[in-house]
Amino acid sequence: MRIFDPHIHMTSRTTDDYRAMQAAGVRALVEPAFWLGQPRTSVGSFTDYFDALLGWEPYRAAQYGIQHFCALALNPKEANDERCSPVLDELPRYLLKDRVVAVGEIGFDLMTEAEERAFILQLGLAKESGLPALVHTPHRDKAVGTARTLELVKASGIGPGRVLVDHLNEVTVPLVADSGCWMGFSIYPDTKMTPDRMVRILQDHGTSRVLVNSAADWGHSDPLLTFVTASAMRAAGFTENDVDQVLWRNPVEFYAQSGRLTLDHVSEVGSPSDTSEYAGNSVRRGGS
Amino acid sequence: MTALRFGYGTNGFANHRLDDALEVIAGLGYSGVALTLDHGHLDPYAPGLVRQLTRVHRRLSALGLGAVVETGARYLLDPWHKHAPTLLDPEPERRAHRLDFLTRAVHIASELGAEAVSLWSGTPDPGMPEEEAWDLLVEGCAALTEVARQSGVRLGFEPEPGMLVADLDGYERLRNALGDPDAFGLTLDVGHCRCLEYDSPADCVRRAAPWLVNIQIEDMRRGVHEHLEFGEGEVDFPSVLQALTEVGYRGLVAVELPRHSHSAPQTAWRSLDALRAASAPPWTTKARDQLGSDPASITRLFPVAARSVGPDPALGEATRIQLLQALPGTGAELASVLMELYDGGDTAERIAVLRALPLLDQAGRVEAHAKGLVEDALRTNDARLVAAAVGPYAARRLDQEQWRQAVLKCVFLGVPLDVVAGLARRRDPELDRMFAAFAAERIAAGRQVPADVRRQLDPDSPA
Repeated sequence: MRIFDPHIHMTSRTTDDYRAMQAAGVRALVEPAFWLGQPRTSVGSFTDYFDALLGWEPYRAAQYGIQHFCALALNPKEANDERCSPVLDELPRYLLKDRVVAVGEIGFDLMTEAEERAFILQLGLAKESGLPALVHTPHRDKAVGTARTLELVKASGIGPGRVLVDHLNEVTVPLVADSGCWMGFSIYPDTKMTPDRMVRILQDHGTSRVLVNSAADWGHSDPLLTFVTASAMRAAGFTENDVDQVLWRNPVEFYAQSGRLTLDHVSEVGSPSDTSEYAGNSVRRGGS
Repeated sequence: MTALRFGYGTNGFANHRLDDALEVIAGLGYSGVALTLDHGHLDPYAPGLVRQLTRVHRRLSALGLGAVVETGARYLLDPWHKHAPTLLDPEPERRAHRLDFLTRAVHIASELGAEAVSLWSGTPDPGMPEEEAWDLLVEGCAALTEVARQSGVRLGFEPEPGMLVADLDGYERLRNALGDPDAFGLTLDVGHCRCLEYDSPADCVRRAAPWLVNIQIEDMRRGVHEHLEFGEGEVDFPSVLQALTEVGYRGLVAVELPRHSHSAPQTAWRSLDALRAASAPPWTTKARDQLGSDPASITRLFPVAARSVGPDPALGEATRIQLLQALPGTGAELASVLMELYDGGDTAERIAVLRALPLLDQAGRVEAHAKGLVEDALRTNDARLVAAAVGPYAARRLDQEQWRQAVLKCVFLGVPLDVVAGLARRRDPELDRMFAAFAAERIAAGRQVPADVRRQLDPDSPA
């Protein structure tokens, strides 16, 4: 099988993860920009991060046969910090880059005015740059946050088909299903969404416009839960075709709207490959 | 759209060592070489040829250069008579000599992984009846075609003005006489088409498309067989290059200027400029115009350039380099723009800036002012950036200490030393000491010494 993880924070992960993901069938991923787990204190900290998402991280991923793309944005949490918000002026030049396939993560955390301003502005940037948008929904008061999110998406004029609303659960999924936006689910070890709950949602809502991600980061999370979800789907009677749609074709279709998702060929039966070494020499350790 | 692959004929670098010619040709941004076997370049009769072939093959692949083998050396077989003997020689032993040479060329091509072996008919002695000359030619070509078939190498027969087979009609006649064999392809010289074909060069390309394995290109005038630099003759290059793209030609398009060795680096530099301009997609032409009136637009054009011209990464890089060449300014002023683009760039953009440096330097536009970019790239752990940084600009501009560290970093990162420009020229006892120390550390740790280092320490070390 082949897996496209549409939301994972690889800068926080080790090469062991890359190796395990490759072995599990992950061949491509999108890393959206978010916060570091502790506050940034300057715009420079963002631009260094963006540069890493466009340079070093895709290189690291390639060493393990995984194609790395990214989404860039000012995240909701740091939209509240005036030391960080000026990064919005830097964003337009970054959104021109070849490997940027979406604006994200944007959306709400505490539902403040500052968050709303940054959210609206960045939906506008997505529209102007022809990029889809990856929208984070808040961890607390999620239903209200999701409803407001959908209002702002509608008001922005960006087509709902170009918006992925992420971190959904049983309560918020019907709202998003009706909106025409894509539905993202972050499968966590025991919080946001679990593989078994995900299977029940797929049974209720079907497989179209649904994306499954691990959203693995520096916290308690697991980059292989996409793979585990696929297994749970099969055990529940979903076909290989259903699994491929949710874990590969749907994310590809969503991000391909950017016109920049230049995937090297990946066969439907992903097989371990190790062809990305530079000129036959391993640079896995960045030197030896 | 796939980019055409431009190459340069090493017969236009006759005053360079082959190794240095490859460095310059790759450094300028060519994708391949048309390698003329000659006394100074892979002499097929020289001792040690096998080892030399291994080395050249390794170097070609490290530099990303494709190759075709050319057999038009003037005095390789007979020091007294140009291009002699030929397949049309009245004496059987002399014909056999040519055939032996061509057979060696096929084997060399096979060793190098070359895409084709080019050959021509020669001119019959005055007095030899035409029918007899044709019989000899068919006989020789048939024998060689069999050798080529067995070696999995394609021949590219080249019509040559003044020779028995001078045009496409002649090639088709010969091909028919041979029974239309797959291995017997065509080398088409675009200038020759202008010189003597009835059709335009672009129409010649369309007509020849099914058999094309090799293209030679240069300017020429009607009726005058003189290989000219681009712009000095009458060939309409955009239409020719367009036709090559249309017919889906994937081989090399190699500049053939054998009388310009005295100015090889400059001529090769101007030629690539001309070819890139003549084949530029409309987006590139527009972007270059825009840079003329608004140089600051580079910050917007540079990041989007690759995807604006299509999915081929090589074309994307060439396009970015063209934009950099279109920037105004020189020296520190130009270098600061390059630095801004490099700093703000993703990896592909940074590599394009690094690869443009030898060209801008060759044009006398940056001198040592852009050294900081190379230093930055050498601090990274990204093998692609390091490989792009150790090109001709670094060889020319880094001081010896920095340069040695760069070479050692290549070894450390697994970047093949064959991509390092000027290694033979700049290597010194201190670098040798560093190689030896590196090897000693590896041996002490019970680890393998990289083949690149073994070869540096002992040129006789097996590959």
